Amino acid sequence: MKFIESIGEVPIKFFSNLGKFILFILFFFKYLFKPKFYFKKNLTYFVNIFISSIPIISLTGIFSGMVLALQSYTGFSRFSAESAIPNIVVLTLTRELGPVLTGLMISARVGSSIAAEIATMRVTEQIDALKTLNTNYYNYLVTPRVLSLTLALPVFVTLVDFIGVMGGYLVSIHRLGFNDNLYLLNTIEFLNLADYLSGIYKAISFGFIISIVSCYCGLFSDKGAFGVGSATTNAVVISSILILSSNYFLTELFF
Amino acid sequence: MKIEIKNLCKKFDNNIVLKDISLTIEKNKSTIILGQSGCGKSVLIKTLYQLFNFDSGTILYDGRNYVDIDKFSMLFQYGALFDSLKISENIAFTDFINNKSNFDKKVLSLMSDVGLDKSTYGKYPSEISGGMKKRVGLARALYKNPKVIFLDEPTTGLDPINSDKINELILKVISKRKITAVSITHDIKSAIKTGDNYYFIHNGVIQDKGDCKKILKTKNKIFKKFITGARY
Repeated sequence: MKFIESIGEVPIKFFSNLGKFILFILFFFKYLFKPKFYFKKNLTYFVNIFISSIPIISLTGIFSGMVLALQSYTGFSRFSAESAIPNIVVLTLTRELGPVLTGLMISARVGSSIAAEIATMRVTEQIDALKTLNTNYYNYLVTPRVLSLTLALPVFVTLVDFIGVMGGYLVSIHRLGFNDNLYLLNTIEFLNLADYLSGIYKAISFGFIISIVSCYCGLFSDKGAFGVGSATTNAVVISSILILSSNYFLTELFF
Repeated sequence: MKIEIKNLCKKFDNNIVLKDISLTIEKNKSTIILGQSGCGKSVLIKTLYQLFNFDSGTILYDGRNYVDIDKFSMLFQYGALFDSLKISENIAFTDFINNKSNFDKKVLSLMSDVGLDKSTYGKYPSEISGGMKKRVGLARALYKNPKVIFLDEPTTGLDPINSDKINELILKVISKRKITAVSITHDIKSAIKTGDNYYFIHNGVIQDKGDCKKILKTKNKIFKKFITGARY
């Protein structure tokens, strides 16, 4: 009997958590438009996220662009289509690799820290303290983080796109012997605004996914050090899975 | 403020934490809730604070079943100070997050009331001791001039000297400000020193109640075992 109960427990727990998560998102939107808006806190959060993520984002961009140029050359040189490398590098970066890799890196860098910070606040009763001080934790904790990350990710993706293209440019010029003016010309002429914007829409969606999932995992973590650890892991794993799966549907949308 | 609790029941999933609790917290008196860990003390005070909903029963605050929680404040077991904020910002939290800047005088006066040195004003919680954190927590609780203060194990984790100091501080604050206090503790010495009335909870049920000065004369067997440290 216990075995059957344990089988049934899994879907019940899953749907109960899903329902809780949907309610959490609805409450977020409800309190987003409430008058208490901590502007200073929002701005501080945005600046902190931005400054702390620049190095990791830059490295992601440059190495992705460099590898992309090399790998494209390996394939394209087999049927003498090397001239398409600038186009492929810029298109792949702006439409696909820029937003997805940035999303995954930010989920590991910022999402984990959001979940750990909020879970620690929960374990040490700071969330209860907020309630006793008549402060809504959606306004104080969730909104600044979600807004900051949702607005920061398009900026990061733009940066990764730019640095990635420059990485591809460096490898193509110095390693593969391309003409530098021609490479840049091909890159700029081939890129459409729609390509760039499709990446930006993805970035906005991923920023929202990472921040809302991380806040949820932190706020509803179990107690103790184990709770903080599993909240952090869950935040990164769930955000990464949601980024990869929603990426397909967003790509279909902008196809 | 007088708080009357009648037949209060609270459960989490299938776990019944509070069973048919009835008690009265008298206005401007210090009521102590005693009991071993996990007996439901913290759940009870968080329910009184309206942080938790309850399943059945009634809670009346001066005869009404709802009260603005701005009239309450709480000192948490380990202070629950906000790590990213300075001591002064923790104490004046609500004014600080609403960008009010004229809280310095009130904060310094409260710091002096709870025996905190001025040098801690700009420090962060990680830079001060456990006893000091409790004092900061108490100053934060008093900042909004509450009518009722809830104290969650105020002397836990402190050495005997600091425990005594915190107890004296609580007594001083309660009598000076004329506020109702509800403390939960395991510490019999603190209960006798700071309390007027006590309630002893065991397994979610009130087992004994009375005058704090007569705690040691209790005839309740379970409470006697709790006091002497014997196993139930």
